[in-house]
Amino acid sequence: MITATGLHKRFGDVVAVEDVTFTAEDGKITGLLGPNGAGKTSSMRMLYGLVAPNKGTAVIDGHDVREDPQAVRRVIGVLPDAPGIYPRLTARENIRYFGRLHGMKGPSLEQRINDLIDLLDMGAVADRRTAGFSQGERMKVAIARAIVHDPRNVMLDEPTNGLDVMSTRAMRHLINQLREEGRCVLFSSHVMQEVSALCDSIVVIAGGRVVAQGSPDELRAQAGTESLEDAFVSIVGAEGLV
Amino acid sequence: MFNQMFAILQKELKDGLRDRRSLMSALLFPLLGPVLCAVLLNTVANSSTRSKPLELSIVGAENAPSLVAFLYTNGVEIQAPPPDPHEAVRDGELDVVLIIPEDYGERFRAGKSARVELVVDNSRTSARTNISRSKKILQAWSSQLATLRLLARGVSPELLQPVAIDEVDLSTPQKLAASLLDMITMFVILAAFFCNMYLAIDATAGERERRSLEPLLINPVDRDMIVLGKWGATVLFGAAGVVMTLLFTTITMGFVPLEEIGVRISLGPPVIGAILLVTMPLTFLAGAMQLLVASFARSFKEAQTYISLILFLPMLPGIALTMNPVKTEDWMMLVPMLSQQLLVSDMMRGDPTGVLRHALAIVSTLVISGLFLWWTAQLFRKETIVFGR
Repeated sequence: MITATGLHKRFGDVVAVEDVTFTAEDGKITGLLGPNGAGKTSSMRMLYGLVAPNKGTAVIDGHDVREDPQAVRRVIGVLPDAPGIYPRLTARENIRYFGRLHGMKGPSLEQRINDLIDLLDMGAVADRRTAGFSQGERMKVAIARAIVHDPRNVMLDEPTNGLDVMSTRAMRHLINQLREEGRCVLFSSHVMQEVSALCDSIVVIAGGRVVAQGSPDELRAQAGTESLEDAFVSIVGAEGLV
Repeated sequence: MFNQMFAILQKELKDGLRDRRSLMSALLFPLLGPVLCAVLLNTVANSSTRSKPLELSIVGAENAPSLVAFLYTNGVEIQAPPPDPHEAVRDGELDVVLIIPEDYGERFRAGKSARVELVVDNSRTSARTNISRSKKILQAWSSQLATLRLLARGVSPELLQPVAIDEVDLSTPQKLAASLLDMITMFVILAAFFCNMYLAIDATAGERERRSLEPLLINPVDRDMIVLGKWGATVLFGAAGVVMTLLFTTITMGFVPLEEIGVRISLGPPVIGAILLVTMPLTFLAGAMQLLVASFARSFKEAQTYISLILFLPMLPGIALTMNPVKTEDWMMLVPMLSQQLLVSDMMRGDPTGVLRHALAIVSTLVISGLFLWWTAQLFRKETIVFGR
């Protein structure tokens, strides 16, 4: 479970995140929805302890990101905004590297890697160097290595960015499966349809603030609109930030 | 915790070995230095004519038997005259031809200046040594005769020589070869910096540029361990470079006629062992220094620019010593790169070095490496490391 409380982040004079508070529960998919530059990635980075908040904090499975970022990192799996993989290593070696960094080793690690390769249907390319991989194949490697240690919480920053239809479908399938396994899934997107198709709960961020949150139905009711898209435009537009 | 460090070290090594650029610089550089030095030393050996006898072609040797006998006793190898002396010299076939005219004996007996002709081409640099040697020996014959004639008349020969010039020539080939030894040392030291350069950049600025640094830092790994792992891989590449350079040096020195130029290079196993002991801390320093600089840089290219600039540092002592040799002092052992340069050169020469100097060099280099590593770790702790500065 992820609980963010009053997250605030400045870079120099620029306020990237003003005030973000929300909760993402286990066994549910929570979507961070917002236009580009709204502060989604910065919020995510505070959650996984890459940057420290100036104010506020976040607690993941009982660990405070400010007090014990290492403990937080052990219980999360992250697909960051820019998930670079190592082009001279094979897909399997890329995944194994991160497994070892999580303290895994031996047959149990190899078994887990094989399971992930099957799950993501990448057996054909698993032992090839990733230099020539397509965007979709690269994304699969990145997601596999992010969840190699079987984390309870999974954060995905714009996971379908740049993916074709088939890869997007595969990604959605995976996200649903992660929820069914009882994990807490948090993912960010600026694509309305994706969020509405997947999420149990939506957190709308604009201008570094949470401007609305709830289930898709609640959001529609709150905005008094028929479609979620209209609700989004109404909520974000009301702030005059798009 | 250290398992993670080894995982990082192992990954960086594998990555480095698979990177053609890293591998090439690590493999080619250790070859380049020893081969270059061997070629230079061979050139020195060939051009050191001092030990070779002067070869002189004489036209009309029968006209001056006493002169020819003098030349012969002074170690000149007398050769048969060419058909056309002028052509032979102009074509560069011969450096010098001595022509003794038929009236030599007549004028000699009459006490007049007996003329001989020395056919030379002064524009040919390679002939200069032989020309001046020929002139010198003829002048020696001339002044010997003058001395005898004056003595026969009861006059002191010193009258003829109000000023006596004694030339003290210091430019022995040994000196030149000795400065080449400084060059070999410089290559050994440079290997510690050059062979790991790409790996250091790839592991830091390259990782950032590839955008794999952020995912790496999200793992529950101590930042210190990340830095140590990357540093370890960098050091191993540098150390391999040093070992290979030394290996190739021992091989190529086998092809250089060192005795001929009067140089002794000690490269036995004990000396190699001692050299390795002295240079290993330097690989620590090289790794830490390059990691630090590359972590500062925003991109691979920027890191490359900085590092090629700092590559001048390890070259500086070598170049300075080649130009202007100094006597080793204890305080110099506190300056990394300079200390290794001096110690390795001294050891190769077979000069005594002393335990204190070794200890000073090793400790000072280790301390400075530690400082650089600590600084790099500080950089990695900052959140700006992902974005660069």
